[in-house]
Amino acid sequence: MSPARSLQQGTRYRAAIAATAAMTVSALAAGCSVANSNHSDAASPDTLRIVLPQEPPTLEPCDASLTSTGVVVRSNITEPLVERNADTGDLEPKLAESWEQTSGNVWTFRIRPGVTFSDGSVFDAADAAFSIDRAVNSTIGCDVDGYVFGDDPLVVAAVDPGTVTVTTPTADPILPLRISFVEMVPTTTDAQDKVREPIGTGPYRVDYWDHGQRLSLVRNDTYWGSVPEYARAIYQWRTEGSVRAAMVTNDEAELATYLGPEDGAGDLGVAYPNNETTALRMQANEPPLDDYRIREAIDYSVNRSGIVKALFQGLGDPAAQLVGSSIVGFDPALQPTPYDPGRAAALVAEAKADGVPVDKEIRLIGRTGQFPKINETIEAIQNALSEAGLNVKIEMMDTAGQMQYQIRPFPDAGPVLLMIQHGNQAGDAQFTVDQYMRSDGYQSYFGTNTYDARIDAAEELVGDARQDAFAAVLADEPTELRQFAYIAHMNAVLAKSPSVRYEPNSATGDEMRLSEMTRADTDASS
Amino acid sequence: MFAFLRRRVYTSLVPLLVVLFGVFLLARLTGDPTNLYLPVSATPDQRAEFAAENGLDKPVLSQMLDYLSGVIHLDFGESLRTGESAAAMALRAFPATLQLAFFTMLLAVIGAVVIGCWAAYRPNSPADRVSSLLSMTAASIPDFWFAITGVWIFAVVLGVLPTSGTGSALSWILPIATLLIRPLGVLTQVVRGAMVSALSAPYVRLARSKGAGDLRVVTHHALRNAAAPALTVAGDLTVGLVNGAVVVEAIFGWPGIGKLMIDAILQRDFAVLQAAVLVTAVSIFVLNILIDAGYALLDARVREKSKV
Repeated sequence: MSPARSLQQGTRYRAAIAATAAMTVSALAAGCSVANSNHSDAASPDTLRIVLPQEPPTLEPCDASLTSTGVVVRSNITEPLVERNADTGDLEPKLAESWEQTSGNVWTFRIRPGVTFSDGSVFDAADAAFSIDRAVNSTIGCDVDGYVFGDDPLVVAAVDPGTVTVTTPTADPILPLRISFVEMVPTTTDAQDKVREPIGTGPYRVDYWDHGQRLSLVRNDTYWGSVPEYARAIYQWRTEGSVRAAMVTNDEAELATYLGPEDGAGDLGVAYPNNETTALRMQANEPPLDDYRIREAIDYSVNRSGIVKALFQGLGDPAAQLVGSSIVGFDPALQPTPYDPGRAAALVAEAKADGVPVDKEIRLIGRTGQFPKINETIEAIQNALSEAGLNVKIEMMDTAGQMQYQIRPFPDAGPVLLMIQHGNQAGDAQFTVDQYMRSDGYQSYFGTNTYDARIDAAEELVGDARQDAFAAVLADEPTELRQFAYIAHMNAVLAKSPSVRYEPNSATGDEMRLSEMTRADTDASS
Repeated sequence: MFAFLRRRVYTSLVPLLVVLFGVFLLARLTGDPTNLYLPVSATPDQRAEFAAENGLDKPVLSQMLDYLSGVIHLDFGESLRTGESAAAMALRAFPATLQLAFFTMLLAVIGAVVIGCWAAYRPNSPADRVSSLLSMTAASIPDFWFAITGVWIFAVVLGVLPTSGTGSALSWILPIATLLIRPLGVLTQVVRGAMVSALSAPYVRLARSKGAGDLRVVTHHALRNAAAPALTVAGDLTVGLVNGAVVVEAIFGWPGIGKLMIDAILQRDFAVLQAAVLVTAVSIFVLNILIDAGYALLDARVREKSKV
């Protein structure tokens, strides 16, 4: 090698080394903070750090009936006129001081004076009327509209700054309960489109939202009610339950939600009933599921007690109906269908002898991650159904895939058993049966005119009569339809740092109120 | 050299276009996003309006032509979820992935060269055993398991590292360690193998006969010749890191392109998915060209071939 070439190569290598070093240094400098991360997650006594399974898709208040949105928005950023007490089921005043049925189909709400939005503007009846109209009568496709209100439009009027009236096409005895789902926003809110970061009257307001990373709420200094203890709440999201639990045990978060019993929260785990009920929905208009005996056999094949005991580690109760104990219409006397594989096999054999095509493949569809141990639950059920003589194939899907089978219009896809998990946030069985048991329910495969009429009759009642009528409707579902094989009323687990005082309740999964969280080192009575 | 690179650019454009079309078609096979974005009570009219607004009512071929027309005008569409520009979301997330990949490969290369050279120079030494262990571990342990176990040991039991997130310098350690194991294991084996060959080559024996010391023989003679295959493998592994950080980013809440892709798939956010894949594909395309350029710099035979 000539000296000149050696020198040239040496220069090239030194240049390469220098370039590499420069890249390293610049990358290291950039590496001090991850690209697009602007805020830290540092602990502070005034800050509550909460880790959720997923980022809220939006903070739009009219979508607050979506669990992932409502858990952040409801009663933290925005508030309704009326709220339902999760423990007693009673309706209580919030931004309305009182309400009354002033005529058959008119309800009048008296607005609480002295309330302002977090932007400083005054809240009055015009805002209330705007909020209801926007959520229910607009074309922006609010989730609360579909979940809580029917297709009929409401006539909403601000009579004066302190009074708003809501007129329904026919008398609606539970309108205030429905109104409890409408979050109040100022009239300056976009009425033609959804917003991502709302203004509300709640104890907190949005501070910043690093999309994909974290969301920070800070105390609303103009809040009309009691001052919440924490000045700030930072929400983060992690997919893995074990990571969420570890964040609390490792002092990186004060609260972690939606954990499984095996996620490792240990002594920091708190179990609570979450209003969710799991069930198999059967497509009863497709053979062999159109034969009542086959649906009955499927019901007998579900080992509810075994699933709750072995898979859910006791966190839950075998179910005999689609609503939980805190819901109007729940019947505590109903007993779950017993596990009877012999009876199931006999029913299938009897149907087969009558020409029912029991060998036809049935698709058993589940949603990945819908609840802890769903894979094992589905496998246990498939195994039991196979032993009963049915031909069942498991298909696990993500949310979007499974939703195609959950909501009308249903795809034409052969006989389907769909694992559903239904949470009634509203506290009244009407919101369950309308969707899941009516002939034309959004999440119902079939029904009968007779059963629809019974639902109609129950919905016109109030008080004890309403409770009794819905209890009867739910009790008779297996004999009149048997669209469902109920599995379990579920419990949820959250991990809670010892530094925080908070009692989760049946509404926690949908509405986690920051103002109810206090520091454990402060006097609870103060 | 330029002819070589030019040819490489042309040949890489074909797979880039295949990826572009493939993702577009596959995304649409995963189903209609309507149910995720409209309430359960949405009427047929509302569904039709949603489809029309987002171009989902057209035949797939027509949708693809619209998309390509947009791409030519640097319009990659908007997120169904946030309404934000899909390209902006992808470009914002990409540097986080690149940073992770860069540091992982930097450590992998340094580690592989040190362990690989040592192992090759002293067969059956502790370094040789470490090299075999790394290789076996890389081949047998999935990223997912390694990540969760790392969280459990270092965050929960020992309490020395954060579980996840991006808040401090320590939060880099577990994601990088998880990503590191595979490239370190593979690259160490490559360096070791190349060094074993190089150390037995005549020019090394000649260097020794001229009195060159062990360190000089390794660093100035054998390593330079062993670098070419190692560089090729390192390049492929870097491409794999950029492409495959999905699991690690999802577990550790790392705001990179992999996490963006997962979120976009779950949300049927087609424009974001397409933009994320396009950014990743282009970066892989650029990386491959850089690797080839580096390979050509190191190996004159490659440069010569390009002249043919």
